[in-house]
Amino acid sequence: MDAADLSQHISKRFNEELERLRNGVLSMGGLVESQLESAVQAVVVGDSELGLRVARDDYKVNRMEVTIDEACSRILATRQPAASDLRLIVAIIKTITDLERIGDEAEKIGFLASRLASMERPSDRYRELKTLGDHVQLMVHNSLDAFARLDAKAALATVKLDDQVDDEYDSITRQCITFMMEDPRTISRVMNVTWVARALERIGDHAKNICEYVIYMVHGKDVRHTDSEAIEREVIKGGKP
Amino acid sequence: MGGSIASVLAWRLAALTAVTVTLGWVVGGMLWWLLGLAVFTIVYFVVSIQTLEQWLRTGKRRSAATGTGVFAPIYSDIIQLKQRARRRKKRFHRLLREVRESTGAMHDGGVILNADLEIIWLNEAAGRLLALDVARDQGQHITNLVRYPAFVAYLERQQYAEKLQMPGPTRGTHLSVQLIPYGNEQKLLIVQDVTRQVRLENMRRDFVANASHELRSPLTVVGGYLEGLADDRELPGAWQEPVVEMQRQVRRMNSIVHDLITLSRLEAAEREAGDDPVDVPAMLGLLQREALTRATRPQHIELQVDDDVLVSGEEQELHSVFSNLLNNALRFTPEEGHVACRWWHDDTGAHFSIADTGIGIPEELIPRITERFFRVDSGRAREVGGTGLGLAIVKHALLRHGGQLEIVSAPGHGSTFTCHFPLERSLFRKVAQTSSA
Repeated sequence: MDAADLSQHISKRFNEELERLRNGVLSMGGLVESQLESAVQAVVVGDSELGLRVARDDYKVNRMEVTIDEACSRILATRQPAASDLRLIVAIIKTITDLERIGDEAEKIGFLASRLASMERPSDRYRELKTLGDHVQLMVHNSLDAFARLDAKAALATVKLDDQVDDEYDSITRQCITFMMEDPRTISRVMNVTWVARALERIGDHAKNICEYVIYMVHGKDVRHTDSEAIEREVIKGGKP
Repeated sequence: MGGSIASVLAWRLAALTAVTVTLGWVVGGMLWWLLGLAVFTIVYFVVSIQTLEQWLRTGKRRSAATGTGVFAPIYSDIIQLKQRARRRKKRFHRLLREVRESTGAMHDGGVILNADLEIIWLNEAAGRLLALDVARDQGQHITNLVRYPAFVAYLERQQYAEKLQMPGPTRGTHLSVQLIPYGNEQKLLIVQDVTRQVRLENMRRDFVANASHELRSPLTVVGGYLEGLADDRELPGAWQEPVVEMQRQVRRMNSIVHDLITLSRLEAAEREAGDDPVDVPAMLGLLQREALTRATRPQHIELQVDDDVLVSGEEQELHSVFSNLLNNALRFTPEEGHVACRWWHDDTGAHFSIADTGIGIPEELIPRITERFFRVDSGRAREVGGTGLGLAIVKHALLRHGGQLEIVSAPGHGSTFTCHFPLERSLFRKVAQTSSA
């Protein structure tokens, strides 16, 4: 009787620990989301102060990554989880790395925004960057929602969004090259724009990675470096075991 | 019949016993008769109880064997109980359905959370506003899905008296949320869509800011010409007085525009004030010296300052807080009056108070005194100068520092304005310095 109570107690504590870990990852995700939003906002509006603040606040994201990483190691060492618990921990360790990278890219965008704010603004007011930024933010948001709900289908839908982001990135790059050829005086500004677009495209890739970890967590299948049809097959097959 | 089962039973048993005893007397073999009665009674009870149990267990609404004899009242009681329970259940079902339907039709979102902030129930509006899935998201931790950092911080702060405004998950929307704890550690999260209000508020703010900026340059031009005219020696004597008056009015308009710009900047700043250490004692000392150089002023201007207490915030904003309060006190206190400033700290944070023996404010007007352009006595206030925006600026600047303004006043006796700064914004000088008057 006593032993049974104890084991139940331990597993309850363990559940709580895992739950807290998940909450931590998602609140880190929330911070990263708002950093990204502010960074894109800073570029589009031309708010150098906001951009610098994003760059300055990146330490918070880094600090959360370290804390969660330590908690993961502690659980691995003390609980020695197996099966789905282990997959959860592994997925968390990978997810926070990608979130931290997204934070770094947002920091970079913040810096570039403060630089762009002091330069001449183009007539379209960076509309393309805003559209790309909106798409990427949606990807990050959806990937974190999929993580919270352990929803492999939503994760798959988000992975597919990445193709669109890549297309938009290509078109921005082409446009930038045209600008630079037409008027070499704009080169330094347009280079910054290219870097912002590049950072956003990278964020899309990181969001895609997070979705792949969600699929791994739910189905136990590694779908990295495969095309989206293969992922789709995996998710649909795994959906009805 | 009627009466309780016990009395019915007692009567019947007594009658049966009487019959048995009589039979035993007449026929003989008394003991056998009594034994037969006992066996009959026991068998009767066992059978009856078994039928009752069976009837209860099968849960049939009405049974053919509704019981006869002594058990009839029990049956009818149970049937009544059952009917009452059924009616109550129906009523609850109807009530529950109505509650569900009405909350579903509500425009405001409602989410019920348990002690661990996990979602127990939410209505459709909440699902729509917070982008939650009504069917799937029950049991999820709310901050897993609503991840906005200010919201997470609001939930962790454990103080839910105020509403929180935050951007919604759909681009361009604004939500106002409030958590209401109730009952057994449960919490109700109310979500309102305030997109329209926020947009209107922004428009109003932009309008005031733009209008004040636009007014600035024409005023500068007019002021410049008036200055030239005032210095002109050839100006006819009849014009000298009007020009001076015009200059005075331009100066007044300038200060109104300046205050409007300050106020709209304070309002537009979404973030809390910064956290530079501000040397309040030095600032107050300077303000006192400025006040003492005035031509007309109250006789006594006292300053009692704890030199070791600083505040983290924005110097310029704090300066306008203290100077506005001091100017008000000087303006409304007669020359034989008394103005006393105090700067001190206690367990709850740092405090600044300024007490005067001026004209005071009627109690019913105190809540309105920080409104823009509100004047207790409009004729008098214009006479003594001032823009009517000072206390509005004080209020907004204090809000940005997490502070509060407390006003105590009695007409004819004077007023005391106290600024409370929270503990987390109070700083203390490391090295204690000897205070100098």
